Amino acid sequence: MNFTLRSSSSLSELLLFVALILEIVIFSFTGSNFATKNNLFEILRLSTEIGLLALVMTPIILTGGIDLSVGSLLGLCAILFGKMWRDLHFPIALAAFCTLAIGAAGGLLNASLITRLNLPPLIVTLGSFSLFRGLAEAITRGVDNFTDFPASFLFLGQGYLPGGIPVQVVVLLVASVSIWLLIHQTVFGRSFRAIGFSSEGALFAGLPVKKRLTLAYVLAGTVAGLAALIYVARVGQAKADAGTGYELLAITAVVLGGSSIFGGTGTVHGTLLGVALLAVLKVGLILSDQPGELAGILTGALLLAALSGNILLTKFLMRRAAITK
Amino acid sequence: MKRHFREWSVAATLGLLLIVLAITAPGFFRTRQLLSTLSTAIPVLLVACGMAIVIISRQIDVSVGSQFAICSVLAGLLVREHWPVAAAAAAAIAAGVCLGALNGFFVAALGLPSIVVTLATMVTWREALRWCREGEFVRDLPSGFQWFGLGQLPGQLSILAISVALFLFLAWALKYLSAGRFAYAIGSDAEAARLAGLRPRWITFWVFVLLGGLTAIAALLNAVRFTDIDPKTGTGLEFSAIAAAVVGGIAISGGRGNLWGVLAGVLLLACIGPALVFFRWPPQWEKALQGLIILAAVTADGWRTKKQS
Repeated sequence: MNFTLRSSSSLSELLLFVALILEIVIFSFTGSNFATKNNLFEILRLSTEIGLLALVMTPIILTGGIDLSVGSLLGLCAILFGKMWRDLHFPIALAAFCTLAIGAAGGLLNASLITRLNLPPLIVTLGSFSLFRGLAEAITRGVDNFTDFPASFLFLGQGYLPGGIPVQVVVLLVASVSIWLLIHQTVFGRSFRAIGFSSEGALFAGLPVKKRLTLAYVLAGTVAGLAALIYVARVGQAKADAGTGYELLAITAVVLGGSSIFGGTGTVHGTLLGVALLAVLKVGLILSDQPGELAGILTGALLLAALSGNILLTKFLMRRAAITK
Repeated sequence: MKRHFREWSVAATLGLLLIVLAITAPGFFRTRQLLSTLSTAIPVLLVACGMAIVIISRQIDVSVGSQFAICSVLAGLLVREHWPVAAAAAAAIAAGVCLGALNGFFVAALGLPSIVVTLATMVTWREALRWCREGEFVRDLPSGFQWFGLGQLPGQLSILAISVALFLFLAWALKYLSAGRFAYAIGSDAEAARLAGLRPRWITFWVFVLLGGLTAIAALLNAVRFTDIDPKTGTGLEFSAIAAAVVGGIAISGGRGNLWGVLAGVLLLACIGPALVFFRWPPQWEKALQGLIILAAVTADGWRTKKQS
């Protein structure tokens, strides 16, 4: 049974891959300038922030947790970065470093409430979702925004390397490879799945469950800080509503990529496929002169179809396994 | 007292806030101000009650904000097409019931995780509505629609009366009707409930239907307060409702909590905004304080359980 369940999960990834190829083929016929190198880079450029958040959401969902606060934390980091640079006159590098530290601190707040008091992640991060966004709004009084960042900083979000490669795509690539190596190639990374599969079992097996959970949430917070920097550099301004709804997009990508929301199963490449599927859908529809709302409708439909398909497939495989046994 | 520690402590916090307001800002208690605060809280209360029952059954629904918007816009469009208000209201409630039933179908019949199902329907309905209306407000509503054609004060009072009656019925039904206890049973242990002869899948389905219906009623009671209907209405309502339920002592792991706690939670969170105005604080702090209240409530809970064990 183990074997068939496992093959059903890689089968769903295969289906996702086929869906992505299908999407690309369709849009290269319907869309103007869709199948070009520049557009590929543009899609990657626009999906970097969501991609980063989805990457770090993966280990959290693998442990059976969830983090609703990453989008709000992105917003808070963005405006604190602007505040430090403009009002406190920090050098830009120091401000950027402090932004990452603030992100980590936000993640640590979630982590300590979740691990020390055994509170459900959904509720803790719902609280910090409100708290972080609220702080961002309170600090800017809802109107202030920060602009006129130096060109050297904006390069991070608007610059291109030789060959037309956007700078942040390199960041996304490095992050993808490192998270993939962490989750799939190290014993350390496997512990996330062990915790999600059975946190008590992991504890009895001698895993430091609380430390691993803390790491997952702090990592998410830090990367939310990084995503804030890239966001500010790309858009050229920091406002309190930066990253609104990003948490839901990141979770959607992870779940679409085949991770179970209950934890225990899922892969990083699945998440990346999920991110790609959503990003291609959005850009492809725009280039095909279709209304942008269609992307959202199809995203929801795709999510439901993927989940229903997956569960029906699993049931089918289990029944067949029972018969052949 | 000890059994309902959470409910009482939230009620005590609310009481304290009200006493401070009574001393420093008696203007808060002027009839008009109080009615306006209450009528802002009422839609959240109705949705939060439905949400509480869903959470007690160990499910969750993040699509209520989108359902709310669809029901509001539908009701507005129908009365503009010269439907009688009662017929339009019935149609909107039917729509809410159908939207809830769809969530219930995916969760109960296919066994999909409710948070993902409702995340998908949340995005789909919101974007579908935006596609249909292109962000346009529903304007030129007939005069018989606003405040049900009663004028502001009688209108506000009748909204209040409807919601109080509905709330009392729900609180009573959840505690004393067997249907209400079914929600607790499947939330505590669905397998045990099944062995005891209940049908967890059907109960789960009906719980979502109930939330859909309550969301539609909330949407109606909200829509009649304004001269036009914003298609973006209800954005973030899912989070306010879940937050109020959790602050009011509904355990996210299912099977625990009651609607009186939810009432205290809704009122506490709803008073923050107006209270800030009376304390002359910048109103932008509202969201941050609500977040702090949620965290404080769950932290206190976690701390207490830790000390007991």
